[in-house]
Amino acid sequence: MTKKRKRYPDLDQKLERPWCFYCERDFDDLKILISHQKAKHFKCDRCGRRLNTAGGLSVHMNQVHKETLTHVENAIANRQGLDIEIFGMEGVPAEVLDQHTQLVTQKHFAEEAERARNTGNPVRGMFSNGTAPVTKRTKVKENMDDLEAKAAKYRHDKVNGLLPLAVAEVAPNPTPPVVQPYGVPPVAAPPFAAGSPFPPPGAPQFGQGQSFPPGPGFPPAYGGPLPMNGGVPPGPGSATGPSGLPQRPPFGGPTNAFPPGQNGNAYSEFALRPPGANDPNAISASLDELISDAKSAAPAPPTEKKSKKDKNIKMVFFDESISPEEKMMALPRYASFVRT
Amino acid sequence: MSSQFELAQNPTDVISAVKFATKSPTRLLVSSWDCNLYLYDTHAEPGGKLLQKFEHPAPVLDVCFGHDDNEAYTACLDWEVRRINLETGAQTVLSTHEKAARNVIYSPDHNLLISSSWDATLHLHDLSKPGEFSTVVLDSKAFSLSVSPTKLVVAMASRSVCIYDLDTLAKAAAQSDTVAVEPWQRRESSMKYMTRAVACMPNDAGYASSSIEGRVAVEWFDPSEVSQSRKYAFKCHRQTVDDKDMVYPVNALAFHPVHGTFASGGGDGVVALWDGVAKRRIRQYQRFPASVATIAFSGDGKYVAVGVSPGFEDGMDDVPDGAIKVFIRELSDSEAQGKKK
Repeated sequence: MTKKRKRYPDLDQKLERPWCFYCERDFDDLKILISHQKAKHFKCDRCGRRLNTAGGLSVHMNQVHKETLTHVENAIANRQGLDIEIFGMEGVPAEVLDQHTQLVTQKHFAEEAERARNTGNPVRGMFSNGTAPVTKRTKVKENMDDLEAKAAKYRHDKVNGLLPLAVAEVAPNPTPPVVQPYGVPPVAAPPFAAGSPFPPPGAPQFGQGQSFPPGPGFPPAYGGPLPMNGGVPPGPGSATGPSGLPQRPPFGGPTNAFPPGQNGNAYSEFALRPPGANDPNAISASLDELISDAKSAAPAPPTEKKSKKDKNIKMVFFDESISPEEKMMALPRYASFVRT
Repeated sequence: MSSQFELAQNPTDVISAVKFATKSPTRLLVSSWDCNLYLYDTHAEPGGKLLQKFEHPAPVLDVCFGHDDNEAYTACLDWEVRRINLETGAQTVLSTHEKAARNVIYSPDHNLLISSSWDATLHLHDLSKPGEFSTVVLDSKAFSLSVSPTKLVVAMASRSVCIYDLDTLAKAAAQSDTVAVEPWQRRESSMKYMTRAVACMPNDAGYASSSIEGRVAVEWFDPSEVSQSRKYAFKCHRQTVDDKDMVYPVNALAFHPVHGTFASGGGDGVVALWDGVAKRRIRQYQRFPASVATIAFSGDGKYVAVGVSPGFEDGMDDVPDGAIKVFIRELSDSEAQGKKK
């Protein structure tokens, strides 16, 4: 027996699902949605009667219980209004509909990209139009002499203090400590510090963590403006790519593996420089560039999502043994009451 | 919803406890850090009527009713446990702890008043013997107390929880001395973080406890393996903000006296009703304007009072005006009812 392949619904299937305006939950079919709305949002909490719409409930409350309904129960913030008449999928304002479509699309591609990253498989439909999958790493032919020359250059640079200098100059810049994104090729680790401008010999020519190089017909992955904000949603056009071609995952999506620009961009930019450029002036100039790059990229928050285990949580109150009341007692305004 | 309203005259500082009288479902006591104990009739007039205010020398940390609706007991920051006669306003000091008195609770079946303190002791007051009390030394400083018909649950620092048998405690109270009472059961909290509140099931079967890390645990008294394997904990009072999970402390727990479901109130200003047996959330109310500090159901289960105070958990220096409120909600018959069997 072979393992049954799990079928992931495609985008159209996801977009077709009816969903509830009040709580953004989606359902298998419209009937279930309507009964959900009646049970969760249009149910009278005095007598349990299930009405068809918020307006209906309002009239019912008014006439039967002489009460006024102020908001729809169990609704998410700013969807609690009674002014919009919703029944199933009817009455949902166009902009909310668009917003939902965008959200679903974004999530779909983020999930797909995440899956592709986890499994290493190409995204479905990626190479369906005859193009062969591109090998993951461009082959670099190196003979022994070249390698030795590179090693000698590296040693030479190290002796001249060029490498430590680079690190020392990069260090004081205001970028937050760069978290190593996962999926970094092992070659990029020592002796080069994270974010070091010097590409290790033979390093791939694309950004770290990217699992495949841009295929033909795609724009370079992260050539966009540098201070790319992590949360920028893709333009509306990005939902549907060129016909026959799979859509590019919207970058900057919530599960994007690393902050664009901060690592990938600066890195690949430097990778393009000829490795032989050991003129100190050129290096310091490029360092300045790097620092300014890094600075401009700094505002981009690391959108890296951590694994489920060490969740990104923030506790509002934390202490091992002092309760909130004891902390309160220590406030200056209660000082006069504290007995010793 | 018009079935929910806020009291017109609210305390001026953080609310520490709200408690309904045992018999009258509209008689409400509210204790506050503004050094006062407030007595309301919640339905005498729209917005409730403030019947009386009892001034204390220091912030009042907890309050409970005694054997009738005219008797109350307070735990005060000035270490004292007091009896308040709600008719005359007369105050009597019953005992003095060595640190602030944190909780008071009354067991009607044993006519026993129990107070706890940060000095890691319980004081047992046998109310049939006025002026006398016994001291029980605890493992750690006490944070929360709750009684069921036969048990007392004490939640303490270092995540320890002790369950005492009330009969044993009533006997110990008769000795009026420092007595060594072994708890009926000594447990470690099933949650990883500091315990914030405990509440016993009205059917005497078990209790729920909550932690500062948005979690509630439900467990049973019965030490048998079967009962113990039923215990569970769940996450609640959390919010995702910018990919970060904001985790709020669960400040308040209260069981519904009729349906046996329970309410939890958190630092996020949310009150949720839970069915602890079916493991279902029954409903979640509209977010309150500030952190929920305390919750109480009325004796007949018709009303729920919610004390809301800002900055309660992070000990903010200043309390903004008008954010300290007591909300009263009238529950419909089925509102707090759990899953039907």
